Amino acid sequence: MPTVTINGRTVEVEAGTNVIEAAKKVGVQIPHYCYHPRLSVVGQCRMCLVQVDGHPKLQAGCSMTVQKDGMDIRTDVPEVREAQRAMMEFLLINHPLDCSICDQAGECGLQDYAFKHGQAFSRFRYEEKRTYPGRERIPLGPSVLLNMNRCIQCTRCVRFTREISETGALGFFNRGSRTEIGTFPGQSLDDDLAGNVVDVCPVGALTSTRFRFAERVWYLDKEPSICTGCEVGCNITLEHRKGKIRRYKPRANPSVNDYWMCDYGRSTHERYGTLPRLGSPRGAGVTDGSWKQALDAVHRALTSRSTDGAVAFLGSAHLTTEEAFLLAKLADHVGSPHRAVVVDQGPERSIPRPDGPITGTEAGPNRRGAELAGLASREGGFSAQDLLEGAAAANCAVLVVADSDFGAGAHDPATVERLRKAGTLIVLGWADTPLAEAADIALPVATHAEQEGTFVNLEHRLQHFERAFPAPGQARPGIEVLADLLSRFDRDWTDEVTAAQVFDRIAGELAPFEGLKLAHLPPEGVRLEVTTSEAH
Amino acid sequence: MSDSPNVRGGDTGATAEAPAFPAEARARLDEIKTHYPQPKAALIPALHLAQEVWGGWLPEEAILAVANEMGLPAAEVSGVVSFYDLFHAEPVGRHRIRVCTNLSCQLRGADEIMEILRDELAVGEDEVTPDGRCSYTHFECLGSCDTAPMMMLDDRYEENLTPERVRQILEELD
Amino acid sequence: MATFEPVLSRNVGHPEVLEVAGYKKRGGYAGLAKALGMEPDAVIEEVKKSGLRGRGGAGFPCGMKWGFIPKQSDMPKYIVCNADESEPGTFKDRVLIEHDPQQLIEGCIIAGWAVGAETTYIYIRGEYTHGARVLEAAIRDAYDNGILGSSVMGKGFRHDMYVHRGAGAYICGEETGLLESLEGKRGQPRVKPPFPAIVGAFGAPTVINNVETLCCVPHILERGADWFKGIGTDERNTGPKLYAISGHVERPGTYELPIGVPFSELLATAGGMLGGAELKAYIPGGASAGLLGPAHIDLPLDFDQVAKAGSMLGSAAVMVMDQSVCLVRAVMRLSKFFAHESCGQCTPCREGTNWMKILLTRLERGEGSSADIRVLGEICEMIAGNSLCALGDAAAGPVRSLVANFSDEIEQHVEAGCCPYEHRRYFTASGASAQPTHSN
Repeated sequence: MPTVTINGRTVEVEAGTNVIEAAKKVGVQIPHYCYHPRLSVVGQCRMCLVQVDGHPKLQAGCSMTVQKDGMDIRTDVPEVREAQRAMMEFLLINHPLDCSICDQAGECGLQDYAFKHGQAFSRFRYEEKRTYPGRERIPLGPSVLLNMNRCIQCTRCVRFTREISETGALGFFNRGSRTEIGTFPGQSLDDDLAGNVVDVCPVGALTSTRFRFAERVWYLDKEPSICTGCEVGCNITLEHRKGKIRRYKPRANPSVNDYWMCDYGRSTHERYGTLPRLGSPRGAGVTDGSWKQALDAVHRALTSRSTDGAVAFLGSAHLTTEEAFLLAKLADHVGSPHRAVVVDQGPERSIPRPDGPITGTEAGPNRRGAELAGLASREGGFSAQDLLEGAAAANCAVLVVADSDFGAGAHDPATVERLRKAGTLIVLGWADTPLAEAADIALPVATHAEQEGTFVNLEHRLQHFERAFPAPGQARPGIEVLADLLSRFDRDWTDEVTAAQVFDRIAGELAPFEGLKLAHLPPEGVRLEVTTSEAH
Repeated sequence: MSDSPNVRGGDTGATAEAPAFPAEARARLDEIKTHYPQPKAALIPALHLAQEVWGGWLPEEAILAVANEMGLPAAEVSGVVSFYDLFHAEPVGRHRIRVCTNLSCQLRGADEIMEILRDELAVGEDEVTPDGRCSYTHFECLGSCDTAPMMMLDDRYEENLTPERVRQILEELD
Repeated sequence: MATFEPVLSRNVGHPEVLEVAGYKKRGGYAGLAKALGMEPDAVIEEVKKSGLRGRGGAGFPCGMKWGFIPKQSDMPKYIVCNADESEPGTFKDRVLIEHDPQQLIEGCIIAGWAVGAETTYIYIRGEYTHGARVLEAAIRDAYDNGILGSSVMGKGFRHDMYVHRGAGAYICGEETGLLESLEGKRGQPRVKPPFPAIVGAFGAPTVINNVETLCCVPHILERGADWFKGIGTDERNTGPKLYAISGHVERPGTYELPIGVPFSELLATAGGMLGGAELKAYIPGGASAGLLGPAHIDLPLDFDQVAKAGSMLGSAAVMVMDQSVCLVRAVMRLSKFFAHESCGQCTPCREGTNWMKILLTRLERGEGSSADIRVLGEICEMIAGNSLCALGDAAAGPVRSLVANFSDEIEQHVEAGCCPYEHRRYFTASGASAQPTHSN
């Protein structure tokens, strides 16, 4: 592999690596707008100009590649600094001073580089800025808004629609300083990947309609997490403030979602704010709304039924692997073969990747994790279909549904009525749905934003996420509730259990997880080895 | 060559049914496509053909017809149209006058030629006369600096212009 | 002054040469016959030896460019003739296309033979509708006479040729902008490397040459590199050159002279200053070249000496200005051209050409300040060398020269608060040509 020296630091890189990427390896950040690792190299913005030994002119770091030993690059010389200052000055002369009303403020490429590489005064004093009258707030589609005055013509958005989403919905029009982006009249940017152009836009020219004026980004706390919209499990950054999720943004993971996520996924956190929440434990025998009373009541229901009364455990694809594991343990303690995982068949969600797209068809992130953890239906046990569509529930002395919002069925009166036919209906969940309302005992549980856990995606990739903020009211993480319940069966368990501890048990008992430790999982996740019988 | 944006983003209406490319033009285009290893290279020839068919300019339906014929997104075709000065996305007169006002022609009176056109036709630059007969615009160097001042009338050059000659030319236009 | 025996323009005035038969009668296709009897590499060597430099503006050694084409390639190779001729002041390629198209065809086929290309695309600017028709007719005649087709001159070498009309964009004269346009896209120049010799038209190795450059090739083959080298100033500036002279001269036109002719001689050939006026400034090589003053009246117009004088020979489009001309207005007009023609891709050119245009417009109206003149000069430095293609450098060229050599003229505007030059009328009220007025 050839070596390259950048600002005196030498590093070995694969032949063909461009200077921007090579510089990252030695901790040198070369500013750039038009370059994006997944898009074609166009060398347009000229922010990445660097000095290359042996070349009289500065060269663009995005298009200059390391092919053999001996390349010597400098970014810390006056010529490069002057070029960066010059490019910033050029970009700012026509840029509107919209910062105080622009959503991009705080995460804006122009702001950031202006501070680092630009100058503090303007020489464009008596001229009129170039504007695009009538193009200040144009919806390009349902999720993307354009303010053409702010555009710096980096062309990332157009290249995205040509090369990644392949819709060709965006184009460039006109020439020179009148170049603008847009859609063809009568057409719109309305595919499910449209929101990604907002992410790739370095400035506030393209903004998200759903996030418009919603929050100043510097007030947002950010937690790496996983999207729960489908079984792809796109890596996201969950951005929140004061216990409310404000935005999902995709987080790069070339093994799962590359740099992207779909618009549907971006919207899934809104559900946490629109459905009413279960605030405290409630139900028969729960007079003081305390967890102790509620779990005692559940324990009684599970143990006091006649020995031939069926007990069924219905999990969902929204359970973490750890929650599912403990639910399965509960089923073991009760000696029940009736366990199942329900998930709606959702619309297809496809994310492009260099080696081929990843496509999810299930409307939840963790059916596989839940099934591997022990909730897979077994011989002689009720299946999800039996319970939801058949008469199985009526044959249950106790039915535990571990997700009050498992799917459309939880809101469907006919399905709820069928499940209600169980002797005792116990429901855990975060949402106060018709199903929760119908339950004998309802236990409030944390959303995935409010607890730590893992999901296993459609490619059997195990992905870990941490808690972003605590659950409100009396809601608790599912593993605490289940461990608390288990402690009434087995003194090994207490309610002070951590996800890491549960995961250690999983790794100790289940072959696909053998040898793994939560704290040591690599950031891109780990593909589990599953046998053919387990893999589906 | 107009500065006004010819795009409106954001309509979520369905794409218009693609109008058909006329048969004779299609035959010519099919022949032209054989000149290139990649069919997309025939786009600019296709747009020249379409512009002839649609009376000297390219309305939206012409762009959709070409996009459909070439198998390209309409946004891309429209982007190509708006890049080039000889393609018009706004209506033009039956006769199109392009007066070179670049340096060598400016040094020999091109600005006065523009004045005369404005006076004689009584419309501004890039506007069409009410009878649809004529539109005019200034243009960049047409490669005829030795016969300055000069202009392009439709697809021929009118060179060594004088005010008299310009008036004569205008009179002869149908 | 000795009259120079025309080479490239020898057939002007002989319309029979538009057809193969007439062209051959006047000695045409002898170069191609000779080339086909040589090894392709030998043809390249001959062109290298001749010292032929590109006549489109860049002046790059032609033979060297041909030598960059890989000998082995899985892809077909292409010759692209750059007939986009849009540099203000330039009209010499049009003469060659309209009056001697077979000469160009011959040059393209020789180039194809030399590098192993079986197809030529002639990219001709869309405005040259007459030229395109002449070329298409000439090509058809060439096919009919066995010059083009499956066996050029019966030697078994295949060559096809197509005319591709542009649609009005100066940037399509930039070689990679041309390639993008040829491929059916917006004519936006590409990042280089890779260079067209490796990745050119349709991803394949491509030679791109200017019309005049290609027209030199048959003569080099027919009469030899030494003959070509014998014309001109030195071994780096060789051959006959078409000079397109326009502006305030008595006989604007295209004149063929040995490269390196002094400006004063060219001016005299064109009949001297219009109306006997006094020279104020001239541009030696198109809008991208800097202005030169009367101090350079005897400057030999070859690539190297014009460069040394702080300008460029470029396309040898000579624009002459007399004392009535406001140079600020002239450069402002050129800056409008560049702002209009900028493709808009890269930051310095897109924003910088527009800024220069705005500044010069204000300065010309007398609304500027001395500080603006300084900023104008600095903008040139911010663009030059930093843009994605040479248009940025070209735009900076005339402005830089104005600020460096004629800043007193700009200062006059600032002090006067308006343009101190009378607006010159070229035509009287009755339409006759007016006498040039000489300003204060």
